Amino acid sequence: MLAIMLMFLIAGTVFATGEVEGASTGPVEIEFWTTLTESDRMATLQVLIDTFEILNPDISIELIPVPENDMASQMAAAAAAGNLPAFAELAAETAVALGVEGLLDVDATTDFINDLGKSRFYQGALELVGVGDGRNYYSVPYHGWIQGIWYRADWFAEAGLAAPDTWENILTAAKYFNQPANNQWGILIGTTAEAFTEQCFTQFARSNDAGLFDKDGNLIFNSPEMREAIAYYAELAKYTPPGPQTWRARDYYLEGKMAMFFYSTYIMDDLAIESVAAGSLTGENFEGLEGAFFDPELVNNTRLASIITHDQPAGYGVIDTLGFPKQTDPAATAAAQKFLQYLFTPNAYVTFLHMAPGGMNPVLPEVTDNPRFLNDPKGVYTHYGPEKLAEITGGLESIQTFGIVEGNRIDAASLIFAQQILPQMLYAITQEGADIDRAMAAAEAAMRDLMD
Amino acid sequence: MADVAVARPRTPRSPKSLTPQQRDARLGWALILPAITIIGLLVIYPIIYNVYLSFFDVSLMGANTFTGLENHIGVVTDGEFWQAVLTTVIYVIFSVLGTVMLGLGVAIVMNKEFPLRGVVRSIILLPYVAPVIATVFAWQFIFDPVRGIFVHLTVEVLGIVQDRFNLIGNPKTSIIVAVVYSIWKNFPFAYLMILSRLQAIDASLYEAAEIDGAGAWHRFIHITLPELQFIIGSLVLLRVIWNFNKFEEVYLITENVKVLSIYTYLTAFTGSLDLGRGATLAVIQFLILLIFIIYYVKKVLKW
Repeated sequence: MLAIMLMFLIAGTVFATGEVEGASTGPVEIEFWTTLTESDRMATLQVLIDTFEILNPDISIELIPVPENDMASQMAAAAAAGNLPAFAELAAETAVALGVEGLLDVDATTDFINDLGKSRFYQGALELVGVGDGRNYYSVPYHGWIQGIWYRADWFAEAGLAAPDTWENILTAAKYFNQPANNQWGILIGTTAEAFTEQCFTQFARSNDAGLFDKDGNLIFNSPEMREAIAYYAELAKYTPPGPQTWRARDYYLEGKMAMFFYSTYIMDDLAIESVAAGSLTGENFEGLEGAFFDPELVNNTRLASIITHDQPAGYGVIDTLGFPKQTDPAATAAAQKFLQYLFTPNAYVTFLHMAPGGMNPVLPEVTDNPRFLNDPKGVYTHYGPEKLAEITGGLESIQTFGIVEGNRIDAASLIFAQQILPQMLYAITQEGADIDRAMAAAEAAMRDLMD
Repeated sequence: MADVAVARPRTPRSPKSLTPQQRDARLGWALILPAITIIGLLVIYPIIYNVYLSFFDVSLMGANTFTGLENHIGVVTDGEFWQAVLTTVIYVIFSVLGTVMLGLGVAIVMNKEFPLRGVVRSIILLPYVAPVIATVFAWQFIFDPVRGIFVHLTVEVLGIVQDRFNLIGNPKTSIIVAVVYSIWKNFPFAYLMILSRLQAIDASLYEAAEIDGAGAWHRFIHITLPELQFIIGSLVLLRVIWNFNKFEEVYLITENVKVLSIYTYLTAFTGSLDLGRGATLAVIQFLILLIFIIYYVKKVLKW
């Protein structure tokens, strides 16, 4: 019932704004591969497709769920068999990898982005899927999550400290707020040997222009910039709660015992909505538990520094894109372009993004001003308001990773990530007191081992 | 058995008809065959296959390459392996000693008459029957550096320690937690076995000793301990085998204590998935344990 109502609502508003043209050439059938395999998300996608098909009776779209981890291999298999889908949802890394192999229609993608307006996108999101020449693109960014430093704006204001968006500001604030005697801690950065640690560290390394590889895939890990970033990270780790820490320690912040913590935008609902915060501890298996401590004022007192600047600005996030795999029939690509055009119309876009408030953020800055976007079904965004949402999604303006360098996807970076070489090194330095140079040499040796 | 069969009068019969003994034997085999099949499939075959794999560079997608003793040499020349062996030995010695001694102490106390003894006896079993994962979470809450009651008590209330600390997370202290947890979790098992033996000791032995003027300590040394010798001997053997191979109780409570089973897991199943090396580690672990068991059974238990 809800789905049908939603369909009419979207159809009605789309007609009213008149953003979709009715012109068509002939009946086209295309496949849309999605990684949103959960049934409620599939249902929302189907509503969007149904609405589009009503508006465009000559196009029919078949929705096919593909688990995210299988997407790359399934695409490769489909390419070999000559039946690539005309439209697919691809993680940015996957898109670049497939694009480099020539499976994606770069011209159709670039045309689409230019038609929609290149300047309407967050540039960091676009650069992530760029071919490397600054003009052409492998895939169209659609939504993403952002990581940054969430901090107690009220504490910072009281202390007269500047927002934690540069190395100096972060370290000053971490020192100032770290008061172990009062059981209050400066900052949470990852220090266990797991992915979260690498995610936190990436932002510092990239803000110092330190990378793992140059664009030709040569290992440039052991650089003065990287050493500087590691030394800074180790210094910052002194102001985290004792022992190795990971994202779970975010609860200290929710309990008012910490000034700053690294986290993705997935924290937004935990901060804003009591039932969600409670659910993060209870859930259906522990119905008797009362749930976590909840401070209703915390969401108002919290802000996000999504970009860290030292040598250069660095944000961290993961972008999901929609791409046009190569087709023999140009009509199929045209149909996919038309569908994506529809998905970027304000109402369809907001409907899509509302599948996961906090997790799916718009790649077009203008969306955060849309009143419908602010009114998500879970009621998360109303707690933030347009200004803070713009600040949060602003992290997409300069996303930096180790894995994509000037339009080249470096496969070895994923291997190094999977092997947790950087987190193991940071764990050894921050927890076992290992010497930085020796730890770096060991990490470099492990990376070279892996690449042989 | 055979003598009895020979003594019976032999009567001519068709090949199908069997003596009752043969029929019994057949029935016996039929009854244990399912168990043998299952053990063969689930225990013996994997062990043999594991030994076989240890001679290969195992590839998940393609064919395995025979590498001879390369894996074995690689393992024994690897410092991390010996570190893991050392950690395992420390873990096993302290956890087994602690388990048996605590179990013995509690069993002696529980052997005395006192009100509500039955209730206390069953409550003591709780750590052993509670699910590992549930108790591990409880322990992690207790030792949490920011919210844990243990740190609160030692730092804020008693002031024994100056700064807040992470006992479980700190790589230097995490093995203490792992050992104490193992003792706490498993002492009821030792307690149960020892108590059942204690209850069977003839009370007249103690009475006679008392008449001869033996004090409590002498009675313990000269009566209780000798009576418990075999039960404690078997207990130590069982606990050594179990704790030597222990994975979940260590891995769940802290990732910093790399005993052999965890080191094997990390080698085989994380990062670059070195299954051949993992198989080699498992074989070596099996050999170390086997040598210990043979030595222990012959020299200590003298069976």
